[in-house]
Amino acid sequence: MQLKRVLTLRTVVATSAGLTLASSSFVAAVLVANYVLGDTAWIAILIGGALCFLAAACFSELNGLLPTAAGIRLYFSRAFNDQVSLVISLLYMLIVVIGVVGVESFILSQVLSEAFPAIPPYLWIVVMLLLVTGMNLRGIKMAGVFQDVVTYSLIAVMLFIGFFALYKVGFKLNAPLSPGGATGMIQAVAVGVFLFVGFEWVTPLVEEVTQVKQISRGMMIALGILSVVYAVFTVAMTAVVPKATLVASPAPQLVLARTVLGDLGASVMILVILATSLKTFNAGIISVSRFMYASAREHVLPAVFSKISMRFFTPYVAIITLFFIGLLAAALTMLTGNYVVLVGLAAAMESIVYTLAGLAVISLRRKMSDRERPYLIKGGYLVPLLTALVFTLLAVAVLASDISALLYIAAAFVVVLVYVNTAVPRLKKKYEARKPAARRRPARAPEGLESK
Amino acid sequence: MATQQEIKESLETFTENYNNNDRLKIMNRDWNRVVVVKATDVDSVHTWVLQDGVLKLKEGEADAPDLTVISDSETLADVFYGDITPIEPYNDGTLRIMGSEDDITRLDFICLMIWGE
Repeated sequence: MQLKRVLTLRTVVATSAGLTLASSSFVAAVLVANYVLGDTAWIAILIGGALCFLAAACFSELNGLLPTAAGIRLYFSRAFNDQVSLVISLLYMLIVVIGVVGVESFILSQVLSEAFPAIPPYLWIVVMLLLVTGMNLRGIKMAGVFQDVVTYSLIAVMLFIGFFALYKVGFKLNAPLSPGGATGMIQAVAVGVFLFVGFEWVTPLVEEVTQVKQISRGMMIALGILSVVYAVFTVAMTAVVPKATLVASPAPQLVLARTVLGDLGASVMILVILATSLKTFNAGIISVSRFMYASAREHVLPAVFSKISMRFFTPYVAIITLFFIGLLAAALTMLTGNYVVLVGLAAAMESIVYTLAGLAVISLRRKMSDRERPYLIKGGYLVPLLTALVFTLLAVAVLASDISALLYIAAAFVVVLVYVNTAVPRLKKKYEARKPAARRRPARAPEGLESK
Repeated sequence: MATQQEIKESLETFTENYNNNDRLKIMNRDWNRVVVVKATDVDSVHTWVLQDGVLKLKEGEADAPDLTVISDSETLADVFYGDITPIEPYNDGTLRIMGSEDDITRLDFICLMIWGE
Protein backbone atom coordinates (compact mmCIF):
# COMPACT_ATOMS: atom_id res chain seq x y z
CA MET A 1 0.00 0.00 0.00
CA GLN A 2 1.43 3.33 -1.08
CA LEU A 3 0.40 6.78 0.14
CA LYS A 4 -0.97 9.09 -2.55
CA ARG A 5 1.34 11.98 -1.84
CA VAL A 6 4.96 11.42 -0.97
CA LEU A 7 7.80 13.87 -0.52
CA THR A 8 10.98 13.78 -2.56
CA LEU A 9 14.51 13.81 -1.16
CA ARG A 10 14.91 17.32 -2.66
CA THR A 11 12.07 18.61 -0.47
CA VAL A 12 13.38 16.79 2.62
CA VAL A 13 16.81 18.43 2.13
CA ALA A 14 15.23 21.84 1.47
CA THR A 15 13.01 21.53 4.55
CA SER A 16 15.89 20.55 6.82
CA ALA A 17 18.20 23.26 5.45
CA GLY A 18 15.37 25.79 5.23
CA LEU A 19 14.40 25.38 8.88
CA THR A 20 18.01 25.98 9.82
CA LEU A 21 18.85 28.96 7.62
CA ALA A 22 17.75 32.08 9.44
CA SER A 23 18.89 35.70 9.31
CA SER A 24 20.12 35.26 12.89
CA SER A 25 22.47 32.45 11.78
CA PHE A 26 24.91 35.11 10.54
CA VAL A 27 25.07 36.75 13.96
CA ALA A 28 26.11 33.35 15.32
CA ALA A 29 28.60 32.95 12.46
CA VAL A 30 30.28 36.23 13.46
CA LEU A 31 30.35 35.17 17.12
CA VAL A 32 32.06 31.96 16.01
CA ALA A 33 34.61 33.98 14.01
CA ASN A 34 35.21 36.25 16.98
CA TYR A 35 36.16 33.37 19.29
CA VAL A 36 38.98 32.22 17.01
CA LEU A 37 41.98 33.96 15.50
CA GLY A 38 42.26 35.15 11.90
CA ASP A 39 40.10 33.62 9.18
CA THR A 40 39.77 30.25 10.90
CA ALA A 41 36.03 30.28 11.61
CA TRP A 42 35.64 27.62 8.92
CA ILE A 43 37.38 25.08 11.17
CA ALA A 44 34.93 25.66 14.04
CA ILE A 45 31.96 25.62 11.65
CA LEU A 46 33.01 22.38 10.00
CA ILE A 47 33.62 20.79 13.43
CA GLY A 48 30.19 22.03 14.57
CA GLY A 49 28.61 20.58 11.44
CA ALA A 50 30.44 17.27 11.90
CA LEU A 51 29.23 17.07 15.52
CA CYS A 52 25.69 17.71 14.35
CA PHE A 53 26.12 14.65 12.10
CA LEU A 54 26.41 12.64 15.33
CA ALA A 55 23.14 14.11 16.58
CA ALA A 56 21.56 13.52 13.15
CA ALA A 57 22.54 9.85 13.36
CA CYS A 58 20.82 9.61 16.77
CA PHE A 59 17.69 11.34 15.47
CA SER A 60 17.70 8.98 12.46
CA GLU A 61 17.70 5.92 14.70
CA LEU A 62 14.98 7.36 16.96
CA ASN A 63 12.89 8.41 14.00
CA GLY A 64 13.14 4.99 12.38
CA LEU A 65 12.26 3.25 15.63
CA LEU A 66 9.35 5.57 16.47
CA PRO A 67 8.18 7.21 13.26
CA THR A 68 5.96 10.04 14.47
CA ALA A 69 5.30 13.73 14.01
CA ALA A 70 5.41 14.01 17.81
CA GLY A 71 9.25 13.83 17.67
CA ILE A 72 11.14 14.33 20.93
CA ARG A 73 7.88 14.28 22.91
CA LEU A 74 7.56 10.56 22.12
CA TYR A 75 11.28 9.65 21.97
CA PHE A 76 12.01 11.07 25.43
CA SER A 77 8.81 9.79 26.99
CA ARG A 78 9.66 6.23 25.90
CA ALA A 79 13.35 6.55 26.75
CA PHE A 80 13.04 8.33 30.10
CA ASN A 81 9.54 9.15 31.36
CA ASP A 82 6.62 11.41 30.55
CA GLN A 83 7.69 14.12 32.98
CA VAL A 84 11.18 14.47 31.51
CA SER A 85 9.73 14.45 28.02
CA LEU A 86 7.18 17.13 28.86
CA VAL A 87 9.64 19.41 30.67
CA ILE A 88 12.17 19.24 27.83
CA SER A 89 9.59 19.63 25.06
CA LEU A 90 8.00 22.69 26.70
CA LEU A 91 11.37 24.23 27.52
CA TYR A 92 12.64 23.60 24.00
CA MET A 93 9.62 25.20 22.36
CA LEU A 94 9.71 28.17 24.74
CA ILE A 95 13.42 28.90 24.40
CA VAL A 96 13.76 28.27 20.70
CA VAL A 97 10.68 30.36 19.91
CA ILE A 98 11.69 33.26 22.13
CA GLY A 99 15.33 32.97 21.07
CA VAL A 100 14.78 32.70 17.34
CA VAL A 101 11.85 35.16 17.13
CA GLY A 102 13.68 37.63 19.37
CA VAL A 103 16.93 37.63 17.39
CA GLU A 104 15.25 37.32 14.02
CA SER A 105 12.86 40.21 14.60
CA PHE A 106 15.61 42.41 15.99
CA ILE A 107 17.79 41.83 12.93
CA LEU A 108 14.93 42.32 10.53
CA SER A 109 13.78 45.56 12.14
CA GLN A 110 17.33 46.98 12.10
CA VAL A 111 17.84 46.05 8.46
CA LEU A 112 14.50 47.40 7.29
CA SER A 113 14.73 50.59 9.29
CA GLU A 114 18.13 51.17 7.71
CA ALA A 115 16.56 50.78 4.27
CA PHE A 116 13.47 52.81 5.18
CA PRO A 117 14.55 55.15 8.03
CA ALA A 118 11.20 56.96 8.22
CA ILE A 119 9.44 53.86 9.55
CA PRO A 120 10.07 52.91 13.22
CA PRO A 121 11.80 49.52 13.56
CA TYR A 122 9.16 48.00 15.87
CA LEU A 123 6.46 48.72 13.30
CA TRP A 124 8.23 46.37 10.90
CA ILE A 125 8.03 43.58 13.47
CA VAL A 126 4.34 44.16 14.04
CA VAL A 127 3.69 44.13 10.27
CA MET A 128 5.76 40.98 9.64
CA LEU A 129 4.25 39.08 12.56
CA LEU A 130 0.75 40.19 11.54
CA LEU A 131 1.40 38.94 8.01
CA VAL A 132 2.64 35.53 9.14
CA THR A 133 -0.08 35.24 11.80
CA GLY A 134 -2.75 36.12 9.23
CA MET A 135 -1.41 33.49 6.83
CA ASN A 136 -1.42 30.87 9.56
CA LEU A 137 -4.89 31.80 10.80
CA ARG A 138 -6.27 31.37 7.30
CA GLY A 139 -4.36 28.13 6.84
CA ILE A 140 -2.39 29.50 3.88
CA LYS A 141 0.79 27.50 3.52
CA MET A 142 3.82 28.24 1.44
CA ALA A 143 3.86 25.60 -1.28
CA GLY A 144 6.59 22.95 -1.08
CA VAL A 145 8.05 24.05 -4.41
CA PHE A 146 8.13 27.70 -3.29
CA GLN A 147 9.97 26.73 -0.09
CA ASP A 148 12.42 24.65 -2.12
CA VAL A 149 13.06 27.59 -4.46
CA VAL A 150 13.59 30.05 -1.57
CA THR A 151 15.99 27.72 0.26
CA TYR A 152 18.07 26.72 -2.75
CA SER A 153 18.17 30.36 -4.00
CA LEU A 154 19.38 31.48 -0.59
CA ILE A 155 22.14 28.88 -0.64
CA ALA A 156 23.13 29.95 -4.16
CA VAL A 157 23.21 33.66 -3.19
CA MET A 158 25.35 32.92 -0.13
CA LEU A 159 27.81 30.86 -2.14
CA PHE A 160 27.98 33.45 -4.90
CA ILE A 161 28.58 36.38 -2.54
CA GLY A 162 31.03 34.32 -0.48
CA PHE A 163 33.17 33.23 -3.41
CA PHE A 164 32.92 36.65 -5.08
CA ALA A 165 34.15 38.31 -1.87
CA LEU A 166 37.04 35.85 -1.62
CA TYR A 167 37.86 36.43 -5.29
CA LYS A 168 37.98 40.17 -4.64
CA VAL A 169 40.64 39.71 -1.97
CA GLY A 170 42.50 37.25 -4.20
CA PHE A 171 41.63 34.35 -1.87
CA LYS A 172 44.20 35.75 0.57
CA LEU A 173 43.26 34.68 4.07
CA ASN A 174 44.71 35.75 7.40
CA ALA A 175 46.25 32.68 9.13
CA PRO A 176 43.48 30.31 7.97
CA LEU A 177 44.97 27.33 9.82
CA SER A 178 45.82 28.86 13.22
CA PRO A 179 42.67 29.21 15.32
CA GLY A 180 44.45 29.96 18.62
CA GLY A 181 43.74 28.35 22.01
CA ALA A 182 41.49 25.39 22.77
CA THR A 183 39.10 27.43 24.96
CA GLY A 184 38.27 29.81 22.13
CA MET A 185 37.80 26.90 19.73
CA ILE A 186 35.44 25.05 22.11
CA GLN A 187 33.36 28.19 22.60
CA ALA A 188 33.33 28.82 18.85
CA VAL A 189 32.11 25.28 18.16
CA ALA A 190 29.50 25.58 20.93
CA VAL A 191 28.02 28.77 19.47
CA GLY A 192 28.45 27.25 16.01
CA VAL A 193 25.79 24.69 16.94
CA PHE A 194 23.28 27.56 16.66
CA LEU A 195 24.04 27.65 12.93
CA PHE A 196 22.41 24.23 12.61
CA VAL A 197 19.50 24.74 15.02
CA GLY A 198 16.39 23.07 13.63
CA PHE A 199 17.90 20.63 11.10
CA GLU A 200 16.15 17.79 12.95
CA TRP A 201 12.74 19.50 12.77
CA VAL A 202 12.34 17.66 9.48
CA THR A 203 11.67 14.39 11.36
CA PRO A 204 7.86 14.99 11.55
CA LEU A 205 7.83 14.44 7.79
CA VAL A 206 8.61 10.77 8.39
CA GLU A 207 5.00 9.80 7.65
CA GLU A 208 5.18 11.50 4.25
CA VAL A 209 8.18 9.74 2.71
CA THR A 210 8.38 6.32 1.11
CA GLN A 211 11.36 5.21 3.20
CA VAL A 212 12.34 6.31 6.68
CA LYS A 213 15.95 6.41 5.52
CA GLN A 214 15.10 9.35 3.25
CA ILE A 215 14.75 11.54 6.34
CA SER A 216 18.21 10.58 7.62
CA ARG A 217 19.74 11.01 4.20
CA GLY A 218 18.01 14.39 3.82
CA MET A 219 19.27 15.59 7.23
CA MET A 220 22.84 14.50 6.48
CA ILE A 221 22.86 16.14 3.03
CA ALA A 222 21.40 19.34 4.48
CA LEU A 223 24.06 19.40 7.22
CA GLY A 224 26.80 18.85 4.65
CA ILE A 225 25.55 21.66 2.40
CA LEU A 226 25.03 24.04 5.33
CA SER A 227 28.49 23.36 6.79
CA VAL A 228 30.17 24.26 3.50
CA VAL A 229 27.95 27.29 2.79
CA TYR A 230 28.36 28.75 6.29
CA ALA A 231 32.11 28.10 6.24
CA VAL A 232 32.60 29.85 2.88
CA PHE A 233 30.36 32.79 3.77
CA THR A 234 31.86 33.33 7.25
CA VAL A 235 35.44 33.20 5.99
CA ALA A 236 34.45 35.67 3.25
CA MET A 237 32.96 38.00 5.87
CA THR A 238 36.09 38.03 8.05
CA ALA A 239 38.42 38.22 5.04
CA VAL A 240 36.72 41.34 3.65
CA VAL A 241 35.27 43.19 6.64
CA PRO A 242 37.05 43.85 9.97
CA LYS A 243 35.70 41.61 12.75
CA ALA A 244 34.91 44.62 14.96
CA THR A 245 32.58 46.02 12.26
CA LEU A 246 30.87 42.64 11.84
CA VAL A 247 30.38 42.17 15.59
CA ALA A 248 28.85 45.64 15.88
CA SER A 249 26.27 44.90 13.19
CA PRO A 250 23.06 42.90 13.76
CA ALA A 251 23.10 41.96 10.06
CA PRO A 252 26.72 41.14 9.11
CA GLN A 253 25.55 39.46 5.89
CA LEU A 254 24.27 42.86 4.75
CA VAL A 255 27.62 44.47 5.57
CA LEU A 256 29.42 41.90 3.41
CA ALA A 257 26.98 42.22 0.50
CA ARG A 258 27.29 46.02 0.54
CA THR A 259 31.09 45.88 0.79
CA VAL A 260 31.57 43.58 -2.19
CA LEU A 261 28.61 44.43 -4.43
CA GLY A 262 27.64 47.97 -3.39
CA ASP A 263 24.00 49.10 -3.23
CA LEU A 264 22.86 46.36 -5.60
CA GLY A 265 24.32 43.70 -3.29
CA ALA A 266 22.70 45.38 -0.28
CA SER A 267 19.30 45.45 -2.00
CA VAL A 268 19.54 41.77 -2.93
CA MET A 269 20.59 40.90 0.63
CA ILE A 270 17.69 42.89 2.13
CA LEU A 271 15.30 40.82 0.00
CA VAL A 272 17.08 37.64 1.09
CA ILE A 273 16.83 38.65 4.76
CA LEU A 274 13.15 39.46 4.33
CA ALA A 275 12.37 36.09 2.66
CA THR A 276 14.48 34.17 5.19
CA SER A 277 12.89 35.82 8.20
CA LEU A 278 9.37 35.33 6.82
CA LYS A 279 10.16 31.66 6.25
CA THR A 280 11.60 31.31 9.77
CA PHE A 281 8.64 33.07 11.46
CA ASN A 282 6.25 30.97 9.42
CA ALA A 283 7.96 27.65 10.22
CA GLY A 284 8.11 28.63 13.90
CA ILE A 285 4.42 29.54 14.13
CA ILE A 286 3.29 26.41 12.25
CA SER A 287 5.37 24.01 14.37
CA VAL A 288 4.78 25.60 17.74
CA SER A 289 1.05 26.26 17.26
CA ARG A 290 0.55 22.58 16.30
CA PHE A 291 2.61 21.57 19.34
CA MET A 292 0.45 23.79 21.59
CA TYR A 293 -2.72 22.37 20.05
CA ALA A 294 -1.54 18.77 20.54
CA SER A 295 -0.45 19.55 24.13
CA ALA A 296 -3.86 21.03 24.90
CA ARG A 297 -5.51 17.92 23.42
CA GLU A 298 -3.51 15.72 25.76
CA HIS A 299 -4.40 18.07 28.65
CA VAL A 300 -0.94 19.38 29.45
CA LEU A 301 -1.75 22.92 28.29
CA PRO A 302 -5.06 24.71 29.00
CA ALA A 303 -7.93 23.46 26.80
CA VAL A 304 -8.32 26.91 25.27
CA PHE A 305 -5.30 26.19 23.02
CA SER A 306 -7.21 23.37 21.33
CA LYS A 307 -9.84 25.76 20.01
CA ILE A 308 -10.00 25.64 16.23
CA SER A 309 -11.31 28.00 13.62
CA MET A 310 -14.57 26.66 12.20
CA ARG A 311 -13.76 28.26 8.88
CA PHE A 312 -10.11 27.48 8.31
CA PHE A 313 -9.44 24.45 10.55
CA THR A 314 -6.54 26.19 12.27
CA PRO A 315 -5.76 26.37 16.01
CA TYR A 316 -6.44 30.10 16.21
CA VAL A 317 -5.96 30.61 19.96
CA ALA A 318 -2.50 29.03 19.82
CA ILE A 319 -1.58 31.10 16.76
CA ILE A 320 -2.79 34.40 18.28
CA THR A 321 -1.00 33.60 21.55
CA LEU A 322 2.22 33.04 19.62
CA PHE A 323 1.73 36.38 17.88
CA PHE A 324 1.69 38.15 21.25
CA ILE A 325 4.63 36.09 22.56
CA GLY A 326 6.53 37.09 19.41
CA LEU A 327 5.67 40.77 19.93
CA LEU A 328 6.80 40.57 23.56
CA ALA A 329 10.04 38.74 22.70
CA ALA A 330 10.78 41.32 20.00
CA ALA A 331 9.97 44.26 22.29
CA LEU A 332 12.21 42.95 25.07
CA THR A 333 15.05 42.28 22.63
CA MET A 334 14.75 45.76 21.16
CA LEU A 335 14.57 47.41 24.58
CA THR A 336 17.63 45.62 25.92
CA GLY A 337 19.45 45.38 22.57
CA ASN A 338 20.93 42.16 23.96
CA TYR A 339 20.15 39.80 21.11
CA VAL A 340 23.40 37.90 21.48
CA VAL A 341 22.25 36.28 24.74
CA LEU A 342 19.36 34.69 22.85
CA VAL A 343 21.80 33.04 20.45
CA GLY A 344 23.63 31.48 23.41
CA LEU A 345 20.35 30.45 25.00
CA ALA A 346 19.08 28.68 21.87
CA ALA A 347 22.49 27.05 21.22
CA ALA A 348 22.62 25.72 24.80
CA MET A 349 19.05 24.38 24.64
CA GLU A 350 19.74 22.72 21.32
CA SER A 351 22.86 21.09 22.80
CA ILE A 352 20.82 19.81 25.76
CA VAL A 353 18.27 18.26 23.38
CA TYR A 354 21.04 16.60 21.33
CA THR A 355 22.59 15.24 24.54
CA LEU A 356 19.26 13.71 25.50
CA ALA A 357 18.83 12.31 21.97
CA GLY A 358 22.12 10.42 22.42
CA LEU A 359 21.00 9.12 25.83
CA ALA A 360 17.58 8.20 24.41
CA VAL A 361 19.20 6.00 21.76
CA ILE A 362 21.11 4.14 24.48
CA SER A 363 18.05 3.80 26.70
CA LEU A 364 15.76 2.61 23.90
CA ARG A 365 18.26 0.02 22.68
CA ARG A 366 17.79 -1.60 26.08
CA LYS A 367 14.06 -0.97 26.55
CA MET A 368 12.98 -1.79 22.99
CA SER A 369 15.72 -4.19 21.98
CA ASP A 370 13.39 -6.44 19.99
CA ARG A 371 11.91 -3.68 17.82
CA GLU A 372 12.95 -3.40 14.19
CA ARG A 373 15.21 -0.44 13.44
CA PRO A 374 15.21 0.74 9.79
CA TYR A 375 18.24 2.88 10.69
CA LEU A 376 20.75 1.50 13.18
CA ILE A 377 23.88 3.50 14.00
CA LYS A 378 26.93 1.38 13.41
CA GLY A 379 29.63 0.99 16.07
CA GLY A 380 27.46 0.01 19.03
CA TYR A 381 27.12 2.69 21.71
CA LEU A 382 30.04 4.81 20.47
CA VAL A 383 28.10 7.43 18.47
CA PRO A 384 25.24 7.96 20.96
CA LEU A 385 27.74 8.13 23.84
CA LEU A 386 29.92 10.56 21.95
CA THR A 387 26.86 12.67 21.08
CA ALA A 388 25.81 12.84 24.73
CA LEU A 389 29.32 13.71 25.92
CA VAL A 390 30.18 16.25 23.25
CA PHE A 391 26.91 18.16 23.47
CA THR A 392 27.03 18.20 27.28
CA LEU A 393 30.45 19.81 26.99
CA LEU A 394 29.19 22.31 24.41
CA ALA A 395 26.14 23.24 26.52
CA VAL A 396 28.44 23.83 29.50
CA ALA A 397 30.82 25.87 27.32
CA VAL A 398 28.03 28.15 26.08
CA LEU A 399 26.47 28.65 29.51
CA ALA A 400 29.83 29.17 31.23
CA SER A 401 30.76 31.92 28.79
CA ASP A 402 27.42 33.71 29.09
CA ILE A 403 26.13 33.99 32.64
CA SER A 404 22.89 35.72 31.50
CA ALA A 405 22.06 32.74 29.27
CA LEU A 406 22.70 30.42 32.24
CA LEU A 407 20.38 32.44 34.49
CA TYR A 408 17.61 32.59 31.86
CA ILE A 409 17.77 28.87 31.12
CA ALA A 410 17.80 28.01 34.84
CA ALA A 411 14.81 30.29 35.47
CA ALA A 412 12.89 28.85 32.50
CA PHE A 413 13.67 25.31 33.70
CA VAL A 414 12.32 26.04 37.19
CA VAL A 415 9.16 27.65 35.79
CA VAL A 416 8.49 24.70 33.42
CA LEU A 417 9.27 22.13 36.13
CA VAL A 418 6.85 23.80 38.57
CA TYR A 419 4.23 24.02 35.79
CA VAL A 420 4.57 20.32 34.92
CA ASN A 421 4.36 19.28 38.57
CA THR A 422 1.52 21.53 39.67
CA ALA A 423 -0.57 22.83 36.76
CA VAL A 424 -0.50 19.70 34.56
CA PRO A 425 -1.95 17.36 37.23
CA ARG A 426 -4.70 19.94 37.83
CA LEU A 427 -5.50 20.17 34.12
CA LYS A 428 -5.70 16.40 33.87
CA LYS A 429 -7.94 16.23 36.95
CA LYS A 430 -10.21 18.90 35.51
CA TYR A 431 -10.46 16.93 32.27
CA GLU A 432 -11.28 13.71 34.11
CA ALA A 433 -14.06 15.52 36.00
CA ARG A 434 -15.55 16.82 32.75
CA LYS A 435 -15.43 13.46 31.00
CA PRO A 436 -18.79 11.71 30.46
CA ALA A 437 -19.50 9.39 33.39
CA ALA A 438 -20.14 6.42 31.10
CA ARG A 439 -18.00 5.32 28.17
CA ARG A 440 -19.63 5.71 24.79
CA ARG A 441 -18.31 2.35 23.71
CA PRO A 442 -20.90 -0.28 24.68
CA ALA A 443 -19.79 -2.66 27.40
CA ARG A 444 -18.86 -6.05 26.04
CA ALA A 445 -20.96 -9.02 27.10
CA PRO A 446 -19.01 -11.39 29.36
CA GLU A 447 -17.43 -14.39 27.64
CA GLY A 448 -19.92 -17.19 27.09
CA LEU A 449 -23.00 -14.96 27.34
CA GLU A 450 -22.79 -13.80 23.72
CA SER A 451 -24.06 -17.10 22.36
CA LYS A 452 -26.96 -17.42 24.82
CA MET B 1 -8.60 -6.93 22.67
CA ALA B 2 -11.58 -5.57 20.74
CA THR B 3 -13.23 -7.66 18.06
CA GLN B 4 -13.43 -6.86 14.37
CA GLN B 5 -17.16 -6.22 14.92
CA GLU B 6 -16.45 -3.68 17.69
CA ILE B 7 -14.03 -1.80 15.48
CA LYS B 8 -16.57 -1.79 12.67
CA GLU B 9 -19.27 -0.47 15.02
CA SER B 10 -16.98 2.26 16.32
CA LEU B 11 -16.23 3.37 12.75
CA GLU B 12 -19.94 3.27 11.88
CA THR B 13 -20.75 5.37 14.96
CA PHE B 14 -18.07 7.85 13.95
CA THR B 15 -19.36 7.95 10.35
CA GLU B 16 -22.93 8.49 11.50
CA ASN B 17 -21.95 11.28 13.88
CA TYR B 18 -19.87 12.91 11.18
CA ASN B 19 -22.63 12.79 8.57
CA ASN B 20 -25.17 14.15 11.08
CA ASN B 21 -22.99 17.23 11.57
CA ASP B 22 -23.84 19.65 8.76
CA ARG B 23 -21.15 22.07 9.82
CA LEU B 24 -18.47 19.41 9.48
CA LYS B 25 -19.77 18.43 6.06
CA ILE B 26 -19.56 22.03 4.86
CA MET B 27 -16.08 22.47 6.34
CA ASN B 28 -14.80 19.36 4.60
CA ARG B 29 -16.48 19.76 1.25
CA ASP B 30 -13.12 20.47 -0.42
CA TRP B 31 -11.15 17.96 1.62
CA ASN B 32 -11.52 14.80 -0.44
CA ARG B 33 -9.52 12.07 1.21
CA VAL B 34 -9.22 8.30 1.48
CA VAL B 35 -8.43 7.02 4.98
CA VAL B 36 -7.54 3.42 5.77
CA VAL B 37 -8.00 2.16 9.35
CA LYS B 38 -6.07 -0.98 10.19
CA ALA B 39 -5.84 -3.02 13.39
CA THR B 40 -2.57 -4.69 14.30
CA ASP B 41 -3.94 -7.49 16.48
CA VAL B 42 -7.15 -8.56 14.71
CA ASP B 43 -7.96 -8.98 11.06
CA SER B 44 -9.69 -5.66 10.52
CA VAL B 45 -9.18 -3.19 7.67
CA HIS B 46 -11.67 -0.49 6.75
CA THR B 47 -11.61 2.42 4.35
CA TRP B 48 -13.29 5.79 4.69
CA VAL B 49 -13.91 7.77 1.56
CA LEU B 50 -14.58 11.44 2.19
CA GLN B 51 -15.96 12.99 -0.98
CA ASP B 52 -17.61 16.42 -1.24
CA GLY B 53 -18.02 16.54 2.53
CA VAL B 54 -19.81 13.17 2.82
CA LEU B 55 -18.12 10.28 4.64
CA LYS B 56 -18.63 6.67 3.53
CA LEU B 57 -17.27 3.55 5.20
CA LYS B 58 -16.25 0.42 3.31
CA GLU B 59 -14.71 -2.85 4.42
CA GLY B 60 -11.27 -3.65 3.02
CA GLU B 61 -8.25 -1.67 1.95
CA ALA B 62 -7.87 1.12 -0.63
CA ASP B 63 -4.91 1.17 -3.03
CA ALA B 64 -3.59 4.67 -2.49
CA PRO B 65 -4.90 6.20 0.73
CA ASP B 66 -4.10 9.73 1.84
CA LEU B 67 -4.00 8.63 5.45
CA THR B 68 -3.45 5.28 7.13
CA VAL B 69 -4.39 4.86 10.78
CA ILE B 70 -2.78 1.86 12.45
CA SER B 71 -3.18 0.70 16.03
CA ASP B 72 -4.29 -2.16 18.25
CA SER B 73 -8.00 -2.98 18.21
CA GLU B 74 -8.70 -1.60 21.72
CA THR B 75 -7.20 1.79 20.90
CA LEU B 76 -9.00 2.03 17.56
CA ALA B 77 -12.38 1.22 19.12
CA ASP B 78 -11.80 3.70 21.98
CA VAL B 79 -10.64 6.47 19.65
CA PHE B 80 -13.50 6.17 17.18
CA TYR B 81 -16.13 5.85 19.91
CA GLY B 82 -14.67 9.09 21.27
CA ASP B 83 -13.67 7.65 24.64
CA ILE B 84 -10.09 8.85 24.21
CA THR B 85 -8.57 11.55 22.00
CA PRO B 86 -6.35 10.34 19.13
CA ILE B 87 -3.54 12.59 20.39
CA GLU B 88 -2.99 10.59 23.57
CA PRO B 89 -2.20 7.23 21.90
CA TYR B 90 -0.45 9.09 19.06
CA ASN B 91 1.92 10.85 21.47
CA ASP B 92 2.68 7.65 23.37
CA GLY B 93 3.33 5.75 20.15
CA THR B 94 0.37 3.35 20.40
CA LEU B 95 -1.39 4.90 17.42
CA ARG B 96 0.42 5.47 14.16
CA ILE B 97 -0.91 7.69 11.39
CA MET B 98 0.79 7.75 8.01
CA GLY B 99 0.07 10.78 5.88
CA SER B 100 0.77 14.50 5.75
CA GLU B 101 1.00 16.38 9.04
CA ASP B 102 -1.84 18.67 7.95
CA ASP B 103 -4.11 15.73 7.22
CA ILE B 104 -3.27 14.14 10.57
CA THR B 105 -4.16 17.38 12.34
CA ARG B 106 -7.39 17.69 10.33
CA LEU B 107 -8.43 14.19 11.35
CA ASP B 108 -7.90 15.12 14.99
CA PHE B 109 -9.88 18.36 14.47
CA ILE B 110 -12.77 16.26 13.16
CA CYS B 111 -12.63 13.95 16.21
CA LEU B 112 -12.60 17.03 18.43
CA MET B 113 -15.66 18.47 16.70
CA ILE B 114 -17.58 15.22 16.91
CA TRP B 115 -16.71 14.17 20.44
CA GLY B 116 -15.58 17.39 22.10
CA GLU B 117 -12.56 17.48 24.41
